[in-house]
Amino acid sequence: MVERKKIEIPEGVKKKESVGEEAEFPFDISPMYEGERVRKGDMHVELGGTSQPGFELVIALPEEQVEDMKVTLVGPDLDEMEEGKAYPYAMIYYVAGEQVDNDLEPVIERRNHDFQNYLEGYMHLNQRYDIWIRISKGSVKKGLNSLTQIAKATMMLFKNEMPFIEKIEAVYITDAELVDKLLKEVAMPIYEERDARVEALHDEDVEEFYSCTLCQSFAPTNVCVISPDRPSLCGAITWFDGRAAARVDPEGPNKAIPRGDLIDPIGGEYSGVNEFAKEESGGEYDRIKLHSFFEYPHTSCGCFEVIGFYMPEVDGIGWVHRGYAEPAPNGLTFSTMAGQTGGGKQIIGFLGVGISYFRSKKFIQADGGWYRTVWMPKELKERIAKYIPDDVRDKIATEEDAKTLDELREFLKKVEHPVVTGVVRPVDGKKITEGWKEEEEVEEVVEEAVEAPAAQPQAVQPVQPVQPAMQPMQPMPAQPFQFQLPMPQFQLPAGQPAGIKLIIKDAKIIIDKVIVKSEKEKKGGK
Amino acid sequence: MVVVAVTGKGGTGKTVISALLIHFISKRGLNLLAVDADPDSNLPDALGVADEVTKTLGEIREVFQVSRDEMGTTDKEQWLEGKIYGEAICECDNFDLLVMGRPEGEGCYCYTNNLLKGVLRKLMRHYDVVVIDSEAGLEHFSRGTISGADYIIVVTDMSQKGLATAKRIKELSKELNLKFKDIFLIGNRITNSEAEEVIKRFADEEGLKLLELLPYDEKIAELDLRGEPVINLPEDSEYTRKVKNIVDVLINLVEAAV
Repeated sequence: MVERKKIEIPEGVKKKESVGEEAEFPFDISPMYEGERVRKGDMHVELGGTSQPGFELVIALPEEQVEDMKVTLVGPDLDEMEEGKAYPYAMIYYVAGEQVDNDLEPVIERRNHDFQNYLEGYMHLNQRYDIWIRISKGSVKKGLNSLTQIAKATMMLFKNEMPFIEKIEAVYITDAELVDKLLKEVAMPIYEERDARVEALHDEDVEEFYSCTLCQSFAPTNVCVISPDRPSLCGAITWFDGRAAARVDPEGPNKAIPRGDLIDPIGGEYSGVNEFAKEESGGEYDRIKLHSFFEYPHTSCGCFEVIGFYMPEVDGIGWVHRGYAEPAPNGLTFSTMAGQTGGGKQIIGFLGVGISYFRSKKFIQADGGWYRTVWMPKELKERIAKYIPDDVRDKIATEEDAKTLDELREFLKKVEHPVVTGVVRPVDGKKITEGWKEEEEVEEVVEEAVEAPAAQPQAVQPVQPVQPAMQPMQPMPAQPFQFQLPMPQFQLPAGQPAGIKLIIKDAKIIIDKVIVKSEKEKKGGK
Repeated sequence: MVVVAVTGKGGTGKTVISALLIHFISKRGLNLLAVDADPDSNLPDALGVADEVTKTLGEIREVFQVSRDEMGTTDKEQWLEGKIYGEAICECDNFDLLVMGRPEGEGCYCYTNNLLKGVLRKLMRHYDVVVIDSEAGLEHFSRGTISGADYIIVVTDMSQKGLATAKRIKELSKELNLKFKDIFLIGNRITNSEAEEVIKRFADEEGLKLLELLPYDEKIAELDLRGEPVINLPEDSEYTRKVKNIVDVLINLVEAAV
């Protein structure tokens, strides 16, 4: 971790210090100034922006190192700047407080934008090393003549709005050399460290997840749950975005979900999420497993960037993204599958995700993750190739390897994909699928099923379920070619000598062959 | 802040009227934001500022859609705001101009549009008046990127199609719950008294306030042909005089709102 310490101000540079709260400011302070644009013609000076270096940085320090409400300005002040010119600008804040730690630094830093825009005639844009400030002529005319006034006003807002900040001190720098040097040596390493920490942040590390109900207008029962390991399925919202939005507007479309107790660490089931889902979906469903494909999967609104689809014929999962127009090996296009996947229901066999979910360390981990993945379009695969484990990357087919189920089966056999012999899920080493049965064996199973339908009402095979969702929550069968229709479709009441009664409810079935044989010969043996 | 949306069937001259309104209102010293919300129109050309427009909001939105995965902990709303303020808003002499540009591509824009809505709402409230040149489908209103309009001005020519579109816009505006205070009608390129009567009657029947009946002005066609901005129209023409009457009405509304 980058060491947190006060920056060193070199000897000999122009320096101005001021301690204590300001009694009054020559400018108004109010949220109504948010969004105010200082036009080029009304601008006194520009700080940072496209032509000059600039950055803002919050550093958490031990309480005794922070001198409360002190400003140090290094370099020329506002009244020494030439009208219409642009200058370098760094704003560094040291903060201290019992609850203030390194994790809070970015949270506090983000608010610099909000608070500075409360200042009349002061426009703050962008963040981190992109900051761009304009100060209006009007404010200068009204008496604004020093950046220390800006710093004092900002610090006051920080303390008012974020009371956990017990002490705050600012160093503002307009000295070109020093801004450049600190940006490279102090700020950038801290920004990079933060980004690295984001990658390493997992569901279990946080207390809250965030919801997104932006899409409920067309999928009223859909609830997106956004966790560090599961970004929104539209690809737009990460856990950090959710957190930022929930803080600004706690009753808005991104609400905090206290995650509650961990019920299933592998599937990613939390009591808080379940309660929230039940409430927000109007009781439509009451369990969600964030990292499961088959069991209580996350719902899909319709915004998903990618659809995952189960192919029972190979006992594997394929993924197809919105931009791929051809049919997937299951014969269906993205848009056809989208119709079945969307709508805010738990659909077993289809799952909508965002492309960034492929980066997740928990990517459908309950169902084998990458080791259960058998197909994706080349374009998608290339985009996320670096997140696929080395030992399975080449075993996942693209349209260049397989366009149909037969071709896919051949390919998977050739490359010895884990689904052929059985998938062992990495998360706990459990073998979750049996692998493919030899084809002859399958034939036998068929014979039995057909010969004794009365004794064991069972589906006739081979059945290709177009929508394997007829009975949710049914664990998926381990073997291909034997996909059972989980509803009692065939009723053959005993004692009725002639004819059979066939009742099929809510089913979409493609059946290659149905053999109905007379029962007469067997009657006696019963 | 008063938001005025100028709309109507394509080809009725709503962009010419928008440009002239923007030109004259901003010259009267009001702080004005012009919004080109019609991908088919050419408001910047009509205003003579096409060279100053470098980026459209649509282009920024597309960049956002493809790069958002890589943004880490960057605040996305701040990112969009910075791009819009820095690159999409064109600072013209007397007014600011925002070109909405291309329509959405594939995929989900719920989140992006929600962010845009917030950015635009904060931006717009700092102007005295916002004039939006909008296509008849009112797409940016239905998507919610632009929250609403105080006044809707529907432009029609002498055609039945123009009137039919005006009627549809009125119904759509109600459906979209734009919370407008009033809906006005302008007849454009009106050359005979029979057409005047038809439009007056239409306005009465539909409950639209008829603001003005503008004549056909050859000069406008000429400017158009030469590729010159319509704001170069002579100040003393009947057309300009009548547009200035509309400007007076609007400025009264803006002042009443303060």
